[in-house]
Amino acid sequence: MGHGKWDDNAYAAGRTFRAAKGVDDFGYTATLRSQPRDKWKADPSLDPKGVVARECRDSPDHADSTPIAVLFDVTGSMGQVPKIMQRKLGKLHGLLQRKGYLTDPQLMFGGIGDADSDRVPLQVGQFESDNRMDEQLRTIFLEGNGGGQKSESYELAAYFVARHVVTDAWQKRGRKGYLFLIGDELNKPRLEAKHIRRLIGDDVREDIDPASVYQELSRKWHVYFVLPKQSSYYDDPQIADHWRDLLGQNFLKLDDPGAVCELIAATIGMEERVVDLDQAMVDLAEIGSVAESESVGKALVHAGGRGLTKSATPPMLDGPDDVALT
Amino acid sequence: MAEHIIVVGLGFGDEGKGAVVDALCQDGTARGGLAQDGLAQGGAAQGGAVTSVVRFNGGAQAAHNVVVGDRHHTFSQFGSGTLAGVPTHLSRHVLVEPIALAGESEELAALGVADPLRLLSIDADALLTTPIHVAANRAREDARGDGRHGSCGKGIGETAWYALLAGAVPGDVVENQRVIGVPGPAPTVGDCARPSVLRGKLDALARFYEPLIGAGTSVDELVALYRDFAGAVRVTTGDEVGRLADRGRLVFEGAQGVLLDQWHGFHPHTTWSTVTPDNARSLLGHRRATVIGVTRTYQTRHGAGPLPTEDHGVLARFPERHNGTGEYQGSWRAGHLDAVLLRYAVEACGGVDALAVTHLDVDGLKVATSYDAPLPSSGLTEFLSGRTPTLVDMPDPVAWLEEDLGVPVLVTGAGPDRAAYAVRTPVPR
Repeated sequence: MGHGKWDDNAYAAGRTFRAAKGVDDFGYTATLRSQPRDKWKADPSLDPKGVVARECRDSPDHADSTPIAVLFDVTGSMGQVPKIMQRKLGKLHGLLQRKGYLTDPQLMFGGIGDADSDRVPLQVGQFESDNRMDEQLRTIFLEGNGGGQKSESYELAAYFVARHVVTDAWQKRGRKGYLFLIGDELNKPRLEAKHIRRLIGDDVREDIDPASVYQELSRKWHVYFVLPKQSSYYDDPQIADHWRDLLGQNFLKLDDPGAVCELIAATIGMEERVVDLDQAMVDLAEIGSVAESESVGKALVHAGGRGLTKSATPPMLDGPDDVALT
Repeated sequence: MAEHIIVVGLGFGDEGKGAVVDALCQDGTARGGLAQDGLAQGGAAQGGAVTSVVRFNGGAQAAHNVVVGDRHHTFSQFGSGTLAGVPTHLSRHVLVEPIALAGESEELAALGVADPLRLLSIDADALLTTPIHVAANRAREDARGDGRHGSCGKGIGETAWYALLAGAVPGDVVENQRVIGVPGPAPTVGDCARPSVLRGKLDALARFYEPLIGAGTSVDELVALYRDFAGAVRVTTGDEVGRLADRGRLVFEGAQGVLLDQWHGFHPHTTWSTVTPDNARSLLGHRRATVIGVTRTYQTRHGAGPLPTEDHGVLARFPERHNGTGEYQGSWRAGHLDAVLLRYAVEACGGVDALAVTHLDVDGLKVATSYDAPLPSSGLTEFLSGRTPTLVDMPDPVAWLEEDLGVPVLVTGAGPDRAAYAVRTPVPR
């Protein structure tokens, strides 16, 4: 902690003390769930409505910031992923830094639900490089509904990141950020304008094709979809085909949901060309994630191992954000 | 009411205080055996079950090993009675490091201690050791190069020093160390529940140490962490030791050894702590206590400083399972039992009522009864470095020590495990 850096020990200590105090790791969820459903809402710090931009900026402490956004499905069975993330966050951040995968990772978390049926279908935090990440995770409302239509509003989250996140990594260095979507279902067939207006506040009048959202997003972000094994859809070919169509080999199936932090770290290490798959496995074993590293290995081998391609620097570093929408 | 017990180390630390405290907390015989009010022997159980272990000096640098069967723990801030189920009170004389404390709590939980933090209470006036103190401590010790003091690198000295700076200005010299900035009041455990007060003190602390360790310490993070800490442990005010003492027997667990005491040790190889029973006695007020001095059957020390009976043959004979070379402390050293230093330590304590002797599972021991010159009244560090001790055989350490020091041996230890410890009924004098 000495110097503005995330510190594994301090992180672990905070968790120990809160557990001893009997504070639920997801206190916000517990509080909200005891209230009637029509009172459910995102914590103001995570509410995307009216947000001009979430920013990932350089600072004297973090001069080479790289944004990592992790947005997970908070419906039903996905509920354990945020808990896993929170438990392993210190390790993830520590691994990225210590092993030199990234100098100054900044993480942002968010939750994704179903805009057709949920009270809180989108929550987006801030980019943080210290214990406030932990605070953010504890404030995410795990609504836990959804289900039925085999689709969630991932494209709404993707739209937010494409339009409402600005990063020094991109603006100063033309470097892409990392976006990990973690879920187990399909996008909605259309990104509905009325949901954008209601939940984000942009004055959009036409529905948008989800594919164009991902296309726009991929200019500035490495986008991954992680399907952890815990739902009946894990082996559903429709899910895999849908996401491979959108993201190619950046669709990752993970047989152990407990390895999601490790998968993120390994993926970034490989994308940054700092490690190959073998070395990533060694690094993971070093932080004590031996069992998890095997699942990560399988996920990444399956996705093409080290066939990840380095993106070329885009021609216009600060060009207009708009692309033609179908 | 049973008498309270104060356990102090008579060497340079590592005498076996942890195992002795564990034995006192655990052993049923101990409860009656020590009582001098007729409860001895039979009436053990209700006579004086240990209510609490009270730490009365030092901080997170303590390393007291307790082995119970296949369970081993190196106690640092938790009291060594924890595996026997006895709660710990950290008195106002203890320097508290919450991050390390949380780690130790997790270790104890892994050993099967249910909810270890519930066993803990802490005086609100106890000083807080922060990562800033730790970083400053290490920066200073690193800068000393070959002239290292043998610091553990855990920020203890820095915590104690900073607390002495009230009213000092940059350029002043306090305890041989130059004041490098504008000091503020020292943060305490009680401040942790008052974020705005704590923030002010931590801001001042971070600014003060900036010339030494650089900027960038996240005070916000520390404030949030310490708030959680304050919510997880019982923070007490007023005379908590008195309240505990009136409920049952207390065992006061000393850290380090008297030969490292800030007043009686051999400078500069000392700790910023009163190691003698003085703190414990003042915490107890007028209440009676039995002082037990702990010694091994041979002499040891960690890191630099005088050790007149040092002998590589002794070191080779007694390999240590739980003591190695510390990154900041330096190497582990051993020599023959030094009765001269032992008598000196007893005197520094104002006398002891009994002894605990550990490492009795050996034979062929020798003891230094005197040096080639008598102890002077000053300049001890230099004096001790050039001595030739007179060694005699010590076939029965218990008998020898009882005879030489004139006090009974109350606790014996003949191995690392709790099962190798015995609490004896004192021989009437």
